[in-house]
Amino acid sequence: MTAALEVRDLRKAYGDVQALDGVDLVVEPGRLVGFLGSNGAGKTTTMRSIIGLTSVDSGSVHWHNRPITFEDRRLIGYMPQERGLYARMKVHEHIAYFGRLAGLDADIADSRAHEWAERVNLGDRKDDMIQELSTGNQQRVQLAVALVHEPELLILDEPFAGLDPVAVSMLSSVMSEQVERGTSVVFSSHQLDLVQDLTEDVTIIAKGRTLASGKVSELRRQAPYRILTVRWAGDAPDWVPYRADPLAAPEGESRFRVDADIDPSGLVGAAGRAGNLAAVSFEPPGLEEIFIELVSQ
Amino acid sequence: MRSRQIREVALREIVTRGRSNGYRVVTGLMLVLAVVAPIVMAYLPDPTDDLRDVTVGVEAGAPPAFVEQLELLSEGVVDLMVFDLSDEDAAGIEARLRDGRIDVALRPPRRLIWDDTEDSTVANLITAALQQAEAIDRADELGLDVGDLARVFAPIELDDEFVDESSNTEGVRSGVALFGLFIAFLLPQVFGQFTMMSVVEEKSTRIVEVLLSQIRPVTLLAGKILGLSALAIVQLTVIVVGLIASLMTTKIAEVPASVWQFVPLMALSILGGLAIYMTLFALLGSLISRQEDQAQVMLPVFAPLMIGYFVGQTAVFGNAETVLAKVLTWFPLTAPMLLPVRVARSAIGPIEVAVSLGLLALGSYLLFRLAGRLYEFTLLRTGSRVGWGEMFRLSLGRVDD
Repeated sequence: MTAALEVRDLRKAYGDVQALDGVDLVVEPGRLVGFLGSNGAGKTTTMRSIIGLTSVDSGSVHWHNRPITFEDRRLIGYMPQERGLYARMKVHEHIAYFGRLAGLDADIADSRAHEWAERVNLGDRKDDMIQELSTGNQQRVQLAVALVHEPELLILDEPFAGLDPVAVSMLSSVMSEQVERGTSVVFSSHQLDLVQDLTEDVTIIAKGRTLASGKVSELRRQAPYRILTVRWAGDAPDWVPYRADPLAAPEGESRFRVDADIDPSGLVGAAGRAGNLAAVSFEPPGLEEIFIELVSQ
Repeated sequence: MRSRQIREVALREIVTRGRSNGYRVVTGLMLVLAVVAPIVMAYLPDPTDDLRDVTVGVEAGAPPAFVEQLELLSEGVVDLMVFDLSDEDAAGIEARLRDGRIDVALRPPRRLIWDDTEDSTVANLITAALQQAEAIDRADELGLDVGDLARVFAPIELDDEFVDESSNTEGVRSGVALFGLFIAFLLPQVFGQFTMMSVVEEKSTRIVEVLLSQIRPVTLLAGKILGLSALAIVQLTVIVVGLIASLMTTKIAEVPASVWQFVPLMALSILGGLAIYMTLFALLGSLISRQEDQAQVMLPVFAPLMIGYFVGQTAVFGNAETVLAKVLTWFPLTAPMLLPVRVARSAIGPIEVAVSLGLLALGSYLLFRLAGRLYEFTLLRTGSRVGWGEMFRLSLGRVDD
């Protein structure tokens, strides 16, 4: 399948600082991709390069297998990390304005603006000025602005930052809906549990370089270690399996990092001899552990 | 698509800026000024009303109609008082003349007595009044109807026509020149700062990132300038219409037809100034990220504005054909102020006007191109302002964003 967006070997230096040092990112049509990295890893610079807001020193951005153009970029919906809205515009006027800028006819932009105001739960506030909204509600408007022209690709930079649980749920469902209707979505987030729940595809970058990319399940499977979790019936004994690294665990539990090729049944047997077992799990590491492992290397 | 985006940006500027308090207050104040100024001038005491006082003493024996005729003839010439000297002896009259209580005494039938010098205006008035009063007496003696006689000798009024009208309409032209200069000086400042505020607002709120994902920087700039220019034209029209209505109502000044001929030329140069300064303000606004930093970058814009204004004022009230005035008429940043003044004062030929307007148009275009180019690099810059050196490097195409 031809990738909707293919970013290859992006490099960008600001003076002595190498912001991007070989970023690769591939987004298949109709897929949701989590773009992960620590602060300063180069996520925002990469996203801005895709949008055309930042020029790069080298590397390429391809749209459906050809170099991306300004017209292609207008098919992208973008929600930047630092939110920006016109304070003295009404909610629906604001959304409609960006719809018209993206090429929608005035009446279509207007009806979409009302639809999106309803969809992001601002139906009763669509005639309010932006400056009268809370920060969270302004983020909802920002999301509507990114989506009003029904983009082929949606780029969301830290969309969950600062949102309450209700808004997180709304945003998650909107993102899933978009993917269902065929939109490709790239989003960055530090909430890795949320990313793991939302998406199968991730790209992890650190220091301006792509470290890993692919399906979460595959990355987890390829990890060279597993997590052994033992819940004890009673107090946890002072037990550490052979060739295992103890991990922090809540009271009544023990967690260990063990090699992936170790026999789990042997571990279970050893645990049973050490104490009274309530439950045992032997799983690949979660996305958060993989992420920490990769970026700390 | 680009023209549609320009229109959208322009409309947004018109709607949001048009309903802002700043725009409404400035428009309202200028309209009030334009309407009230002629009214105030109409009710101010006319300096020509301030006629000198003249007291004429009249001894016994003057024709009965003399005082009436003297009062009629003195209207608008001197502020006349007539003093009856019938009961005064010669010494008393002389004393009154010496201490200035009367300016002249008429001793019928033909003698005027002065203190030390003759006032020819007063002497002529008394002579004419005496002549008319005696003519009335003689007509009465001859049995002629005084009304008929008045019709026979009714004064006539001549209409003036001038081959060279310029000196005759000098006052009106100076007034129009001053008005044009004031507008050419004020409008770019008001709307330039609106433009700068709009650019900085988009930068400081970071909405510019979303905008530039859909629209080219130069398109954004063009829309902004067009929208705010439309608001400026509306404001200017409101002011001019208010002024004309007020002038017509108060009838304080009659504007000769020749003055209307150069109004379109003035409007053109004022609009050219508006365009070039709004572009400049937008460019400078893109160098900063906070509204409070505006003062840091505005100084270079005010320098040509102030120079143009002061040289323009000199040209309104003095010589409009100095070398400095001529040179500044060709410089695109001062031409919008000098051109209206020199045109209104008939101190510029058609070729010079064409060259000046051509240079203004060329300067505006080149500045717009440069601003569009710099806008791409400066609009997304945040934090400390872009320095002049860096701006210069960017304008030469040395990019390091």
